[in-house]
This record gives sequence, C-alpha cells and structure tokens, in this order.
Amino acid sequence: MKSIMILAEEVANEATVVNEFEQTLLRIFILIIMFGLGAGLTPKDFGLALKRPWGLIIGWLTQFGVMPLTAFILVTFVLFQFDPPPGVAFIALGALIMGAVPAGTTSNLFTYFSKGNLALSVTMTVNSTLWAFVMTPLMLVFYSRLVGLDESLDIPVGELVTVIFGLIVPVALGMLVRRLSANAGSVLELIGGVFGLLFIPFLIAIWVPRNWQLLLTTQWPTYAVAIGLGAMGMTVAYYIAKAIKLHPMNARTISLETGIQNGPLAIAVIVSVYADSPGLDQILLIPALYSLFIVILSTLVTFWFRRANVAEEQKIPNLL
Amino acid sequence: MTPNPWTKHYPSEVSPELEKVPYANLPELLRAAVDSYSKTKAFTQVMPNGMNGTLTYAQIDAHSDSFAAYLREVVGLKQGDRVAVQMPNCLAYPIVAFGVFKAGLVLVNTNPLYTAPEMIHQFSDSGAVTLVVSDMFADRLAAVLPKTKIKTVVTVKISEFFPPVVAGIIRIVQRYWSRTLPKINVPHTWFQAALKAGKAAKSESKSAGYLKGITSDSVAALQYTGGTTGVSKGAMLSHGNLVTNTLQMISHCGTGMRKGMEIVLTALPMYHIFAFTINLVAFFHIGARNIIVPSPRPPSNLQRAFDNYKITWLTGVNTLFNALLNERWFQDAPPKHLRASAAGGMALQASVSERWRELTGTPLVEGYGLTETSPVLTFNPLTGLSKDGSIGIPVPSTEVKCVNEKGKEVAVGEPGEIIARGPQIMLGYWQRPEETAAAIKDGWFYTGDIAQMDADGYFKIVDRKKDMILVSGFNVYPNEVEEQIAAVPGVLEVGVIGVPDEKSGEKVQAYVVATVPAPSAEKIIAYCRENLAAYKIPQGVTFVDELPKSPIGKILRRVLRDDVVAGSNKKGA
Repeated sequence: MKSIMILAEEVANEATVVNEFEQTLLRIFILIIMFGLGAGLTPKDFGLALKRPWGLIIGWLTQFGVMPLTAFILVTFVLFQFDPPPGVAFIALGALIMGAVPAGTTSNLFTYFSKGNLALSVTMTVNSTLWAFVMTPLMLVFYSRLVGLDESLDIPVGELVTVIFGLIVPVALGMLVRRLSANAGSVLELIGGVFGLLFIPFLIAIWVPRNWQLLLTTQWPTYAVAIGLGAMGMTVAYYIAKAIKLHPMNARTISLETGIQNGPLAIAVIVSVYADSPGLDQILLIPALYSLFIVILSTLVTFWFRRANVAEEQKIPNLL
Repeated sequence: MTPNPWTKHYPSEVSPELEKVPYANLPELLRAAVDSYSKTKAFTQVMPNGMNGTLTYAQIDAHSDSFAAYLREVVGLKQGDRVAVQMPNCLAYPIVAFGVFKAGLVLVNTNPLYTAPEMIHQFSDSGAVTLVVSDMFADRLAAVLPKTKIKTVVTVKISEFFPPVVAGIIRIVQRYWSRTLPKINVPHTWFQAALKAGKAAKSESKSAGYLKGITSDSVAALQYTGGTTGVSKGAMLSHGNLVTNTLQMISHCGTGMRKGMEIVLTALPMYHIFAFTINLVAFFHIGARNIIVPSPRPPSNLQRAFDNYKITWLTGVNTLFNALLNERWFQDAPPKHLRASAAGGMALQASVSERWRELTGTPLVEGYGLTETSPVLTFNPLTGLSKDGSIGIPVPSTEVKCVNEKGKEVAVGEPGEIIARGPQIMLGYWQRPEETAAAIKDGWFYTGDIAQMDADGYFKIVDRKKDMILVSGFNVYPNEVEEQIAAVPGVLEVGVIGVPDEKSGEKVQAYVVATVPAPSAEKIIAYCRENLAAYKIPQGVTFVDELPKSPIGKILRRVLRDDVVAGSNKKGA
C-alpha cells in the first residue's frame, strides 16, 4: 500500500496530471478538432439521430447504467479483494466518480476515425452531459453507499456548462462554415482530422515522461480498474447495441461513447470538490490513469472497428 | 402510311417530329446557351470530401475559345485532325471537348482506365495527333506514344479551376497521401499553360475560320465501341447527329427538363456517350448546372454532392441506382429536390426502379440507345404513360421496329432484332466500310438487340442477340433470369451467362455478389424455380466479390464468359 501512497503524492504534485500550459494546448486542440467534426455534419444528420432515438436511448442506458455499475463491480471484486476498505477507499472513490461522469469529447473523435455515426456521437455526448447534472451525483451517492463510502457530491455546474458549450459552439460554427462554403468546410474538416491524429501521440508524449514513475509503481489492481472500466464499458455497450440489432455503425458509436468518459471533467470535479481532502491525490489516481489508458484503448478499438467494418458491412457494388 | 403506334403517347407538349434544327454544328448549339446563361454556374466539380470548383457559362465559353485557338494556332492542327481526350470527369473536360469542336477538330473520347495496348489501338486507329490526358494516367505514355501519331501532349490536373488553397491541398493529398501522381516522362504542356498560349493567340477572325465548311454532316467525334464484341471501332458521330440527338432528348422530356432551372448530377463519366450527350451537351444547352463527380466509386463519393447541392436530375445505369439504394446515408435522406432520373446503358431491373420510386418519390425512367445512335433512340415519357421494364417509345423524328432474320418487321409482341432510323444514326464506322455496311442497311441501323413492341408502341428489350443462351434448343435471355435473381433478398448484383454443357449444349450459370451473410445458392435456385420455366433455371450459382463492368458500370457478360473459358483451360492443363 505504501507504493500507492507514493505515487499518489506524485499525482498531487502535478495537481492535474498535465500542467496549465498543456491543458490550454489540449483545449485548443479539442476546439480545432470539434470545429472540424462540425464541418463534416449537416442539420439533417442530427435530425436523423433524433428521429430514430434508439441509439440515444441505449446510449443513455449504457452511459448511466453500465458505466457506474462497471466501476462498482471493479471496485468490489478487484480493488477491495486486494486491499479492503478503508485502505483504498479514496482510490475507490476516484473510480466511482470516473464511472459516473458523462461521455467525453474524445469519443467523437474516435467515432469519426472508426467510421461510426458522428451525429449520434455528438448528440449522445451533449445528451449525457446534460443528464450529468442529475445522474452523476445520483449514481455516485448510490454506489458509494453500496460500497460503504458515505459520499455525496455536488457537481460544479460551471464545469458541465463549459463542457456543453465547448462542444456545441465549435460544432455549430463548423456546420455554419460548411454551409457558407463547402470548400472552407472541407478544409476545416481535414485540419480537424490531422489534429485528431496528432492528438493521441501528443497526449501520450506529454503524459508518459512526466508520470513514468507513477506507471512503474502503481499496483495491478489499480491498473485493472482504470483500464477495465473503459474496456468493459465498451464491450458491454457494443454487444447490447448489437443484440438489439442496431446498425453496426451505431453500435460502434455507442460502444466508444459509453466507454470513453470525460476524464478531464472527473479530474476537475475532484479537484474542486475534494480540494481539502487528505486523500485528494489518491482520489485522482484512477481518473489520471484512466485518461491515459482510454486513449490507448480507444485507438486499438478504433483499429479493430475499422477492420471488422470491412468484413461486416454489406459489400458495395463497384462502379467504373 | 399508318401513323406509328407510339405517337399518341407523346405528352401534349412533345411534337412527334423535331422542328427544323437551327444549329449547323455543335459550337452553334453551345453558343445559344452561353448567350442566354452567361453568368449562370455551368459546372461544379465535387470531390468526395466536398471540395469543389465552379465555372460559369461565360468562363466555359472563353476558356474553350482559348483552347481551340491553342490547338489551331499553337499546336498547328488542321480542320478534321483528331484530338484524343482521356480524363475522368473534371472541370477541364467540357473546356477541352468544346474547344475541340470550336476548333473544327474531331474529338476522340478515351477511357482513362485503358491499358497501354488498348490506348495504342484506339490512338493509332483514330490517327489522333494530339492527346489531352489527366496527369494521373500519364505514366503509360512513354510506352504508348512511339506507336501512335501523337505529337503533342497536354496534361490536365484533377484540381484544375479549384480555389488555390483547395487545389493545393488536393495536389498534396494526391502526391503524398494517395500517390496518384506518377512521374511523366514524355514532353508535355500543362493545361493552364496551353490556355494561356491559346488566349494570347486567339482572335475573332481566326476563330470564325476554324468552322468554315463544318456542316451538320462533318464528323464531330469518334466514339469507340464494340468492346463487347472484340475489336473496338470508332463510331463517326457528326455534328448533326449530336445536335439533333440533344434536341430530341430535350424535346422528348418536355416540361421534365426546365430551362435554366435544373441541377443535374453527373456521376457517369462524360467520355461515355450517355453522359456526353445528355449531361454534358443537353443539360448545358438548357442552362442547367452540372454537378460533376470524378468517380462514383465507392458510391459514398456522391454523398457530399447530394448533401451540398439541390440535385434535381440524375442520370445513371442500373448499377449506380442499385448501389445508391444500398447506401445507408441515401436511404436515410433521399434527395429532397430530385424531380426525375434517367436510366440507360443496361437493363434497368424492376426491383431497382420500384425501390427507387418508393424511396425518392420521383420517376426513374428507362431509355435505350447505343454509341452508334448518339445515343438516344427511345425513352419512357416523363409525363404520361411510363412502363416498367420497357425502354419506352422512340424519341421524336425516330423510327424503330423489330425485324426477323430476313429484315421483315415482326408482329406486335413478337421478339425481333431492333432496328432504327433517324438523324442520330452515325455516319458509319471510322475506316471500316464493311462493318458499316453490315450495320447500316438502307438507312436502318441494326442494333443487335432483341426486343418486342407492344400495341402502344412501347419497346421492351429481351436481350442482347449475342448474350442469348441456347439450352437444348430453347432461347434463354440472361436479362430475364437476372431480373428474378436480383429480387432475392441479399442479392446485390447478378450476371447470368451460358456456359458450354455436354448435355444441353449450353447451361445457365449465375454469378452473384451478395450481402454477408449471403443467401444460399439453393434459395436462389428455389426462387427461380417458382418464377421461371425449368430450362431457364440456373444450373449453378457462383458467389463472387465483384462482377466485371464497363466504364459506366454495365456488367460485362463477355468477360464472365471469357473467365469461364480461361478457367476450364487452366483446369485442363
């Protein structure tokens, strides 16, 4: 357990895993990417996502049903087996928060690269972020009681509003640009795509060197929870969507959308709510590890989706 | 003489006879459009990601004048010289094609996907002296040019006339990402340089001279055909052929083609006669805006065109309509502004036309024609009676009938070879008097297609004469079998051919492209059993990834047959 304490200190020293400047840079990155994604969409695409709300409903269920439950299961059957409470209570709390937060913006990016339904993805992110006002505290209270951690949580409204605006505004602007000039729109889309590709190595490049010690000293159960949360979430959501026969494109979208949580939001919430907690560093541990590994995990899943895609989808007759 | 039975089925605004044609040649026809629509957008090229470039009628006119001057003054070509043009759909294409006509030269459309031997055959047969080629396909030239008379090569970029930043991005993507820009190792002039030189050299007085002596009977284009029978030969299409066929098509469509209001999607290649006459010339003449797409493969390449433009007209072949119907984005949001679609080039399957009408709520009418007939011979009327599975009624000023082996007209409902007479029939095959004499007798062109006419004067293609399968003395028409198989759920495309059989002489064999999971061969055969006579039922069903197709997507049964022969030889060896 000592080792966990040490690395938690590391996390605390870095406060938010990435520093202020890198965070700003990441925000700009995401803004450009969202702008580009928006330029690939038309209002018609959103109309379709709303007209056939099945994807949205399933997405909601997996987002707030599967993810918190997965976090709970992992905490109970992995983390606590290794070191029962109160030893890892703070780490467990971090995991439960991670499970309860809404979908992250990067899910849109991965949906784009895995040829999913981008409009559905964006709609789902907005939807789950809106619901987060209610559902995130609710899920946290419920599951933390269940594991015996009497926690309640006030979600900082400002953070959620920022997330939603940070998503809607660039997407809407991107769509507007495309409407005014298809050429400008497609150039933006291309730039967004290039930034999207750079985003992952960039993230890893700034994260790993700084935190390699954390990676080396973290115990496997913590890894299992941090990685398992995203992996199980994606898998379960994918097969649920497949089981009810949603189009493969939508199943891929829901899978990524569910598994990819809003890591930065979780970190921001923790830092603002538990600023004075003696366990701040430990609470941050899972969200920090999750944020790194979800990028790697999603990249792998995207490659797999792209490959499976070819075999699964109908063959399109060739012209010319 | 009794009036033709189809005359009464022309919509009220369509006259059975074309009025006197007021244009002596193609440039005059084009000029009329430029005079009325000079500021209107004429062509917009759309890339799969939505990047686009646009030229107005006035720009097309000015640039094609310059290109004509380049060919005559700078290259030094003489009236009647052949200019080969080999490029996919792009903004340069109409400029080059119109420029060739304005220069009093002869256009030789060439498929950009041709291999070196095919190029050598077509260039040397036509005697082309100048080649305008897309830089994406120019790598074969070093091997080809020495065996032809070509002395001048003009190279065209796909991004020609796009805004500079966008054009730059396309170039970068082509060069470093898709690597579609081969090294060109023959002397050549870039298209923009040619235009610049032409612009400097052009003058009103010289331009007028280019067309001196060009009448409606002068050859405008050598359009190569006959690939399905073997050696490719050039159909000599005159200015008169192309001008009248354009006017026949416009007249036949009546109010379906509104002047100055249509936005037509050109997904088929314009070097092919179908899109050439209908999309390029006819829609230009009525002041339409042409949305051109360099390649409709995969069909998702068309999504941005449908998203970003209010497409009112679409021309295509069965394969294209079928492919669109199988695209999810198309099913989800069928084009709202579409008014009509025209199918040709190959038989339109009933299942496709029904699904099309159901999904889009607009008519998809089938027509018929050949390269040798410029191409339109018949079309279903857009307003009025349109019959499914029929190629419609002859366009104005055209006579069509079905005849037996002796050339005598057969009774209504009887199958016979379809023959046609009208102002759109080619002058003949280039330097092939014997083949010309075999195809055109007493002014009637023999199509080699078997059709039947009903009492209303509507024609129905039974099949290609050469594709007919003879099973124990019974005629089996592949179209009929394909039609049934196409209706089996899960079948995307089908090609049916006859293969040699010891017992029955020939037997029916089906080649199927299917969804995953595929319907079983038994299921397909069982379906045929319910709907077809015993001798027509395929003896075998082979599942394939892809069927061989012509440039416009026509399924090539000949290639399927050749593959079977090649396959059995291999087995024997």
